[in-house]
Amino acid sequence: MNKSLPTQCTLGEALIYQIALTIEDGTLAFHGFGSPLVQAALHLAKHTHAPNMVLVAGATYGVNPKPSFLTPTSNDWSMNRAAECHLDIEELFDLAASGRMGRMFLSGLQIDAYGNLNVTQLGQKSLRLKLPGGGGGCNLSCDVEHVTIWTAAHRAITDPKGRRLFRLVDHCDFITSVGHRTNDGKTRAEMGYRGFGPDALITELGVFDFDDSGHARLTSTYPDTDINAVRDNTDFEFPISENLTAIPLPNPEMVEFIRHLDPLRIHERELKHAELHRHFCLD
Amino acid sequence: MSLLRRRLRNSTTVVRRCKLAMYTDPDKRCDLPDLIGYIKEGDCLAIGGGLSWREPMAALRELIRQGTGNLRLVGSAHGIDVDLLCGAGCVASSSESYVGFEQDFGMAPNYRRACESGSVQVQDSCCYTVVQQLRAAIAGLPFMPVRSIRGTSFMQLHPEYRSMNCPFTHDELVLVPALRPDVAIIHAQYGDSHGNLHIDGPPVADILFAKAAKTVLATVEKLLPTEELSKMGVTIPFFYITALTEVRYGAHPTACYPFYAYDRRHTAQYYQLASESTEAFSDGYLQPYVYTCRSHGDYLEAIGGEAYMQRLASWQESNSAWIALYE
Repeated sequence: MNKSLPTQCTLGEALIYQIALTIEDGTLAFHGFGSPLVQAALHLAKHTHAPNMVLVAGATYGVNPKPSFLTPTSNDWSMNRAAECHLDIEELFDLAASGRMGRMFLSGLQIDAYGNLNVTQLGQKSLRLKLPGGGGGCNLSCDVEHVTIWTAAHRAITDPKGRRLFRLVDHCDFITSVGHRTNDGKTRAEMGYRGFGPDALITELGVFDFDDSGHARLTSTYPDTDINAVRDNTDFEFPISENLTAIPLPNPEMVEFIRHLDPLRIHERELKHAELHRHFCLD
Repeated sequence: MSLLRRRLRNSTTVVRRCKLAMYTDPDKRCDLPDLIGYIKEGDCLAIGGGLSWREPMAALRELIRQGTGNLRLVGSAHGIDVDLLCGAGCVASSSESYVGFEQDFGMAPNYRRACESGSVQVQDSCCYTVVQQLRAAIAGLPFMPVRSIRGTSFMQLHPEYRSMNCPFTHDELVLVPALRPDVAIIHAQYGDSHGNLHIDGPPVADILFAKAAKTVLATVEKLLPTEELSKMGVTIPFFYITALTEVRYGAHPTACYPFYAYDRRHTAQYYQLASESTEAFSDGYLQPYVYTCRSHGDYLEAIGGEAYMQRLASWQESNSAWIALYE
C-alpha cells in the first residue's frame, strides 16, 4: 500500500543514504563500533545496490548478519544476529593488511583537509580533552583500499568565550588515522601505504570528494544548505567541483527499510539536537 | 596464601618453558578473593571482553576491594570496565585502543578525568598493533612488523616502536615489541575444573590474551563436567589457565548472552554518577556497589537480586522484549 510509504526523509536517513552510496557491490566492507549511521548504511547498501558485499560488523566481526535492531552498543548479539560466520580479531585486521578489505568508515572530532583524523586527544602541547580513542582506525587507514569519512557534526559551535570550534579543522592536534598527506607533506605513495585513502567526506552540511592533490573538494550540498553554509563552518579553504549538485535522496522504500532496521533511532544520537528538525521531501 | 596458590607454587606441574608457564593442575577452582590475589600492584593487565560484552566485572570489583593499584592496562576497545578501575584509582596507564560508552552515553567520565589530571598516563594503542604485539609473544618472537602506524602520532606516543626497511622488499615497516601481559582476566560462559573455557559468541581478543599472558585468570557463569564442555568445544585450552572461579552474573552490568543482556538501566545510573564528579561517583556508586559489598553475592543483592537479573534474561522472549531493554 503506497499510502503508508513515507513522503519525507530525515537528515539522518539522508546521511545514511550518502554513506551507502560510497559502497561498491562485491567488496568487503567493515563498519566499526560507535557508528550507527554507518551500520545502517551498510545494511541499506546490501539490501539495495550491493547485495554481494561482504558485510563485516564491527565489534562482533559477524559476516553478513541481519541485526534484529540497531543497538547503542556494538558488541551485542542483536548486531550479529544470523551472521553467516564470524572472524577473529586477528583475521579481520589481516584482511585489511593483505589488501582484501575494500572499504572502511572513519570519523573524527577533528578532520583536516587531507582526511587526517583525530579521535585521541585535543590539545597540541598538553592534553586538554581526552577522547575515547581510535580503535583500529590507525592501522586500517593505512591498509584498507578505500575509506569513507563521515561526521554528523560539521556545523561549528561557539564556545562561551566566543571562539568557534570547528570539526573540519586546519590542523589536527593528534593524528589518529591518516588521510592523503602526513603532517610533513608526504603523500600516501611516498609512505608506501597499501590503500588509496579516503574518497568521500560526508557531513550534515555537504559531501566532498578528494582531488588529485588529496585535498577535500565540495561536490554536493543539501536542499537546505549551500556553499556559504559549508564555508562558514569549515576552518580550511576548499575547492568546489564544477558539477556541484544537490545530494541524491533515498526512495521511500529505502526510508522504510531504515526505520524498520533502527526502531530505536539510535542513528540520530550521532546528530546534534538542533539538526533533528531537518527533513527533506521525497518526490 | 590460599591452598591453591600454595599448591601451584610447590607443584611440579607448572613447567616453565620459554618464560611462559604450562598450567596442568587437575583442579584449578578457587574462590574469587584468591583468584584476584594473583594480580599484584603494578601488573600489566589485559582485560577480556569488549565494549559492553562479557567484561569480567565481578573480578574487577573484587580487584578494587583488594586495593591493587598502579595497574598498566592493555587491550582493544573497552568501556565500563576500564572506566570503573580508573574511577577507583587503580590505574597507572592505559594502552587501550578505545575507552568509552559508544553512542549510548559517549565519553568515559572517570577515564577522561584520570587521563586529563595526569593520574593515568595516556598510552593509547590501536587494535592491530596490539594484535601483532600479542602474536609476537605467542610465537615466542621479540617483535612483529606492521606496515601501518607511520605518519600517525602514535609513533611519538610510543618511542619503543622502531622502524626498519624490509631486507627483501625494502618497504619501510614499523616493529612493535612482543606484549606479554602479567595477567589476563577473562569472563566466559562455561568452564570446567581443569580450566578449559568455552566462549559463546565473539571472543574479542580473549584467546590472544590467554596465549600471551603469563598468568590467566577466568571467571565463568557455569562450571560443567569436562566431557560436557569438550562437546561444546574448547575455546581456550586448560593449560593456558592458571585458576578459575564460578561467578554467576559475573559480567553484570555488561552482557553475557545467552544468560543476560547488557543492563542499560544500571549503566545509565553509573554514567550519571561518574559524570557528576569523582566524589559523587565514589559515594553514589563505589560505596554501595563495590566497597560495602563483601562478596559478589552482596553485589547481586544490592542491584536487586535474582528478580532483577531475570529482567535481563527476557531478551530471548521476543524482539520487542529485547528492544525494551534498550528503552
